[in-house]
Amino acid sequence: MSEAPSPALNGDERIKTRSRFREALIRPELGGIVGTAVVFTLFLLFASDSGMFNSQGIMNWSQVSAQFMIIAVGACLLMIAGEFDLSVGSMIGFAGMMIAIFSVTLGWPVWLAIIVTFALALAIGALNGFIVVRTGLPSFIVTLAFLFILRGFTIYFPQTIERKTIIGGVKDAAEGDWLAPLFGGKIFTGLFQWMGDAGIIAVFERGTRQGQPVVDGVPMLIIWALVLVVLGHILLTKTRFGNWIFAAGGDAQSARYTGVPVNRVKILMFMTTAFCATVFATCQVMEFGSAGADRGLLKEFEAIIAVVIGGALLTGGYGSVIGAALGALIFGVVQQGLFFAGVESSLFRVFLGVILLFAVILNTYIRRMITGER
Amino acid sequence: MSSNHNPIIEMKGIEKHFGSVIALAGVSLKVYPGECHCLLGDNGAGKSTFIKTMSGVHKPTKGEIHFEGKPLNFERPRDAIAAGISTVYQDLAMIPLMSVSRNFFMGNEPLRKFGLIKLFDHEHANRVTLEEMRKMGINLRGPDQAVGTLSGGERQTVAIARAVHFGAKVLILDEPTSALGVRQTANVLATIDKVRKQGIAVVFITHNVRHAMAVGDQFTVLNRGKTLGTAKRGDITPEELQDMMAGGQELVALEGSLGGTV
Amino acid sequence: MTSLMKKLMLATAVVAAPMMVATTASAEGEKYILVSHAPDSDSWWNTVKNGLALAGDQMDVEIEYRNPPTGDLADMARIIEQAAASGPDGIITTLSDYEVLSGPIQAAVDSGVDVIIMNSGTPDQARKVGALMYVGQPEYDAGHAAGLRAKGDGVSSFLCVNHYISSPSSTERCQGFADGLGIELGNQMIDSGQDPSEIKNKVMAYLSANPETDAVLTLGPTSADPTLLALDENGLAGDIYFGTFDLGEEIVKGIKAGVINWGIDQQPFLQAYLPVVVMTNYHRFGVLPGNNINSGPGFVTADGLEKVDLFAGEYR
Repeated sequence: MSEAPSPALNGDERIKTRSRFREALIRPELGGIVGTAVVFTLFLLFASDSGMFNSQGIMNWSQVSAQFMIIAVGACLLMIAGEFDLSVGSMIGFAGMMIAIFSVTLGWPVWLAIIVTFALALAIGALNGFIVVRTGLPSFIVTLAFLFILRGFTIYFPQTIERKTIIGGVKDAAEGDWLAPLFGGKIFTGLFQWMGDAGIIAVFERGTRQGQPVVDGVPMLIIWALVLVVLGHILLTKTRFGNWIFAAGGDAQSARYTGVPVNRVKILMFMTTAFCATVFATCQVMEFGSAGADRGLLKEFEAIIAVVIGGALLTGGYGSVIGAALGALIFGVVQQGLFFAGVESSLFRVFLGVILLFAVILNTYIRRMITGER
Repeated sequence: MSSNHNPIIEMKGIEKHFGSVIALAGVSLKVYPGECHCLLGDNGAGKSTFIKTMSGVHKPTKGEIHFEGKPLNFERPRDAIAAGISTVYQDLAMIPLMSVSRNFFMGNEPLRKFGLIKLFDHEHANRVTLEEMRKMGINLRGPDQAVGTLSGGERQTVAIARAVHFGAKVLILDEPTSALGVRQTANVLATIDKVRKQGIAVVFITHNVRHAMAVGDQFTVLNRGKTLGTAKRGDITPEELQDMMAGGQELVALEGSLGGTV
Repeated sequence: MTSLMKKLMLATAVVAAPMMVATTASAEGEKYILVSHAPDSDSWWNTVKNGLALAGDQMDVEIEYRNPPTGDLADMARIIEQAAASGPDGIITTLSDYEVLSGPIQAAVDSGVDVIIMNSGTPDQARKVGALMYVGQPEYDAGHAAGLRAKGDGVSSFLCVNHYISSPSSTERCQGFADGLGIELGNQMIDSGQDPSEIKNKVMAYLSANPETDAVLTLGPTSADPTLLALDENGLAGDIYFGTFDLGEEIVKGIKAGVINWGIDQQPFLQAYLPVVVMTNYHRFGVLPGNNINSGPGFVTADGLEKVDLFAGEYR
């Protein structure tokens, strides 16, 4: 939307003209764009012959990045609205477990299990938000409570009902279900078969699937990630509600005075986060066929890290869904890429810490440029 | 002067109690269109409570509000805004990280149909914002310039222009000059003058007598939750106002020791 | 601005440095990747890493150890996929949840990578995913055998300190033990978490709330070490029947001191060492043992602790 200011507007001698470079720097996505370029360059240099960029390798880091993206979209919108959700990881475990209990233990049809789980997750998200806006407590604390509450239930339910902490058999239950493929299915399988036949991508050398491509389609997980990113981006930048999200996080009191329904915005954003976590969980359960009590551990921090790498401010009011998606991509590519590059896996955390620190410093610098503070 | 018109808003015997604390003990006030009504008072005099009652944040414990001749009952701030009463708060006017244009249209976003869904009409918003800012004498680099880069006075001006643009009939300004330098104060006062000339009633809250005298048509002084009466421009001197605000005697003594500079 | 760019480049260089070092440090020969389900904090896997490294040295093959940092099995599935994508000669992996891991393992097998299942899982599951063999200790059976032994020693109730509740094989150990005793597991298994002081306090709380408990069963050093401290503190050390899975330095000391009656050694060293040896020979000469290898269970008691003592925490 930035048009060059007309000469008439440049009357004030106090306004310095800014260089294009500086102009370009003041974008929340900048860190993400630079980071993505750097990361891909490095891995192309050091890991190009390691299988990272063959069909299996690409699918591998794409899937991991897509997972991060799904939860990063929710976390990003919520963070821009000025709140945190630390219960994302526990919600992933909880939602997955609920689907498994409903469909396997209780024998409900899988579509019903999925729908009820989504409703349950949205209700918990709304409760999170309601408690935060009603009590005025920091969301950090409220959702920390839910981190434990949900994780506790995720261990307690299967243990009391089934005497174990992993419930399997979802894949069998989902056989022939109409809703399950929306989360666990794959698309473009024909295209991949053709690429396999044409020798463009690797095929299985033996076993029952001999001749079939190793990567036989794009998992719905990736489709979900892309759809959520696009929808989130449009919502944030192109709609009235998006303006309210910025306003609610920028300064809730000012927003209230101008008539923005801040509480509603925040509660809806908590529900969005819960929704994203449940999408994550459903895709995972449908892919792996089981739900475990340890699913989603620490994912809340991974989501927040992706969002921060993507240029959002921890204090709210500023950020970008595209940036968060790039942050998730960087996160996923680095995590998987270090392996391909043959780096000791414990160094991943070092790498992550360095990237995070760098992103936060860059963000602070950008904010100072925006607000003119020193 | 249009004092012979009907008042656009009239507050009659407003009382507000918070538990056992009586914040307002019967305040009456008439505001006329096209006039700047200055509400003066020291800290704790009840100015904030009074304007919050006027803008629908608080409901009065006792008393009536008449707006354009009809009794009014605001349930929420939104009702007051819808009726045409806008309030610009001292430091809660703008969101620094957001662009001027997003701030300008906050809560009143223009929409454009895009298929089945309605999108934020950025083009319209940007055009209007630039135009309105130019009217108020502020040159923006562009509509996407963040409010954080504006000075305090400019922010107040953007907030005032926003209220006027969205059809405010009564504009309540809560200490708009208290944190500003001389030059910026002058800008805000000039803006008030422009707004008044458009026929809008301005309620200007301040504790600075000189700022009040610069633009005020009428002056009401609040002290300890009570009004000490309303005076017209020309009927009262700055010294008298100052005395009334401070509750009279003590300040005279103080003033003596300070050499009349308060 | 320039200083910002400088900082950026510096940071990049710092971050990239270890990568370059690591890529140049690859040896010639076959490449095998071991994927475990253990979170970073689990010290028991050190023995596996040492066994793996030793086998790599002796056979002159390139080896790599991978694990999901938080112990999340879904992450582990991705690591297996990743391992397969990098085109090694073989993958040695645990099969701690068949549902989650069978897909990626099968895909690896089908794309031409040989797989040996170690540690968790059953020989049956290993055969189903198309693995060459299974090397490990069947968990339920080990628990069951331990239960029978304890029953013979007059135990009729116990506390199972489960520090890894989300892994089904941990629960199987407790379940097997209960079944061996011929009693219901019920509430006798507690979720202790991984934090030592938390484990210690939970054990003490349970034992003071249930003073009639005959025995304590821990599932590895993570839960055994704090439990030893707990028993020291509440005076039950040497009095209460104490059995544990796996060995470690403290456990060995405990056995020597008579606080721990026995330790079930599944000999993790062998679980990492043997698959590398087996696979290397298979790839070099086409020879393969005709059966699965049971690395355990072996009961370690106060008799014959010498070698265990010498290498505890390293190779034992």
